[in-house]
Amino acid sequence: MRKGMIAVALAVLASAAVVTAAVAKPSATATPAQVATCTNVSLGFLGPLTGPAGFLGQEQISWLKFGVQKYNKENGTRFALVEGDTQLKAPVALTVGRKLASNSKVLAVIGGSESQAVRVTGNLFERTSLANVSGSATAVDLTKGRPYRSFFRVVPNDGVQGPQILNFVSTNLKAKNVVVIDSQDDYSLPLASAITRGLRAKGVTVSRESVSADDTDFSSIVANVGSNVNVVVFATQVATAANTLSNQLREQGKRATVFGTDGAYSPSQFKPRNGHVSIFAPDLHFDPKAAKIIGEYRKFVKKDTSGAFGPATYQAGWVAMSAIRKACADGRTNRVEVTKLVRSSTTPSIIGAPTRFDAKGDLRGGGQFTIYRITNGKYSPVR
Amino acid sequence: MDWDKLVQLIVNGLTLGSVYALVALGFSMVYGILKLLNLAHGDVLMVGAFIGWGVLGWLGGAQDPSVAVWLLIVLMVLVAMVGCGFLGVAIERFAYRPLRRAPRIAPLISALGVSFFIQNSVLLLFGANFRSYEAIDLVDVEVGIHWGPLNVWILRVVVFASAAAMMIGLWILVTRTKLGKAMRATAFDREAAAMMGIDVDRVIVKTFFIGSALAGAAGVLVGLVFGQINHFMGFNYGLKGFTAAVVGGIGSIPGAMFGGLFIGLAEAFSVGYIEDFTRGRLGSAFSDLVVFLILVLFMLLRPQGIFGKPDVKKV
Repeated sequence: MRKGMIAVALAVLASAAVVTAAVAKPSATATPAQVATCTNVSLGFLGPLTGPAGFLGQEQISWLKFGVQKYNKENGTRFALVEGDTQLKAPVALTVGRKLASNSKVLAVIGGSESQAVRVTGNLFERTSLANVSGSATAVDLTKGRPYRSFFRVVPNDGVQGPQILNFVSTNLKAKNVVVIDSQDDYSLPLASAITRGLRAKGVTVSRESVSADDTDFSSIVANVGSNVNVVVFATQVATAANTLSNQLREQGKRATVFGTDGAYSPSQFKPRNGHVSIFAPDLHFDPKAAKIIGEYRKFVKKDTSGAFGPATYQAGWVAMSAIRKACADGRTNRVEVTKLVRSSTTPSIIGAPTRFDAKGDLRGGGQFTIYRITNGKYSPVR
Repeated sequence: MDWDKLVQLIVNGLTLGSVYALVALGFSMVYGILKLLNLAHGDVLMVGAFIGWGVLGWLGGAQDPSVAVWLLIVLMVLVAMVGCGFLGVAIERFAYRPLRRAPRIAPLISALGVSFFIQNSVLLLFGANFRSYEAIDLVDVEVGIHWGPLNVWILRVVVFASAAAMMIGLWILVTRTKLGKAMRATAFDREAAAMMGIDVDRVIVKTFFIGSALAGAAGVLVGLVFGQINHFMGFNYGLKGFTAAVVGGIGSIPGAMFGGLFIGLAEAFSVGYIEDFTRGRLGSAFSDLVVFLILVLFMLLRPQGIFGKPDVKKV
């Protein structure tokens, strides 16, 4: 019996030694050539490159490509990208997530761009120790209770967005009657509910409406919008839908303006005559201090139609690449080590304060959303 | 009673219903002649919407069209009708004709296959991004009828008027022309019609051409009035169009027109009033529940539809 216990204890010790040896860093520092070899790995991208939110994914992948090229040039690394298109559909996201997880060259995933993609791939990436850093998934439950331990996001969550919108709508816009519309998906339902509850608590009269994410006609919903309604808050991931809603309000002579949540942010697609939109990261095009990076990006792409989605994903990519490079200091790395380093990283940011994560994987300090006023299709920051 | 809302819902229902009616006509015509449910019909509408979008882009786009707006719209509709007409003929020739003597389930499966084939072909060609007609740049939404509670964008009037014109045209074609007589004869008894010297294959091809052309026009009208188009939009319009055809009486042309308008109005009213009628228990998200409940009720209480005749068989 005693011999058996000793044998078990020795086996445990031996296993621990093997694991420690695998994870622990030797003190040696890798040469630039070794770093280049070690960073000859890929970042996976998980987002909607096509589909109703294709505009969003295209912008993100474009900025991510720009980021990878810039990082490689500045740091002598050899990162590559593997693109995964979710089409804004959760089952597709899971299939794409599995492909990324089974690709041994992929050491980190940038995304999922949308909250539902994170929900279906979160456990998979945790099981395969694959760090996933999102530049746009904002649902609160993605980090509440830390359900996905390898998930991080470089943008604030809807727990910040909801209160900001309802404060703005009730205080700045002085709305007394509001219609809140959700699009029956995991992103919009909790956000719309939080805004509804908050506005009602402030004494605002709120009606709720629902549309499907695939709907292209909102004229009957608009008929329900009374003439005393000041603002229609539309929690959607489809900017063209927000635009159609805004047009149909005008068509029916309704004076209510549309307030789009972050999914609607698209200066090229959501162009109401009068409206607002919130977004989790500032649009660098309005920031004179960001002129250099915007100039570099414009050299990289032929036509810059980007807004605020791209720079946040660039930042997510930068966090992941910095962690991998750091892990490669001894000339070799693995997913476990990369996830660990992402968790403890502090990365200079182009969209605000340096990116640091709290214990849940959220941005330390919570961050802030930016609200833009839209007049005749032109955006200008409000706060 | 909120009259503004009621009037607006009628306008919305009629616009939507016009589109459903055009789709239902295609379903009904093909079913009347071949007793076949052309499940790819909604996808033909989608192709029409993309053809219209292509013509719009080719002629300078909504912001800077190179021809007059009315001419642009006419061209978009005509090209889509011709394109979809030929697509319908191709579908009939390659997917249905070889199965004409096969058990009825075979062409049904073939129709499903064609539907997926068209959808994926468009996905491959254009990607899955939503495309926008941006018709608001062609005609501002405030241009139209504004009279008391009535606010109608001029493009909605165009949609309703052109759908009505096409329906009347089709009615005249079926009831007053030689081709119409041949179509009715073929629908009544294909073998007898052939024995009377009617080229049945030719009639079927023409029926597919006309039905698909109407779907193509409907696709452009959808793009013009609702703005967004995508590769899977055909499914929803196809399903609603099919429902309209069944409610009106599948095989009946007036039935398809009536069914389309009925379903369009039912959908608009259910979005508008479902919350009031259910005292807040159900919201606008459940409007389709009402539409398909109507379908189920018709299937149970009057399976032949409003204008259809019961299928009596001599024993």
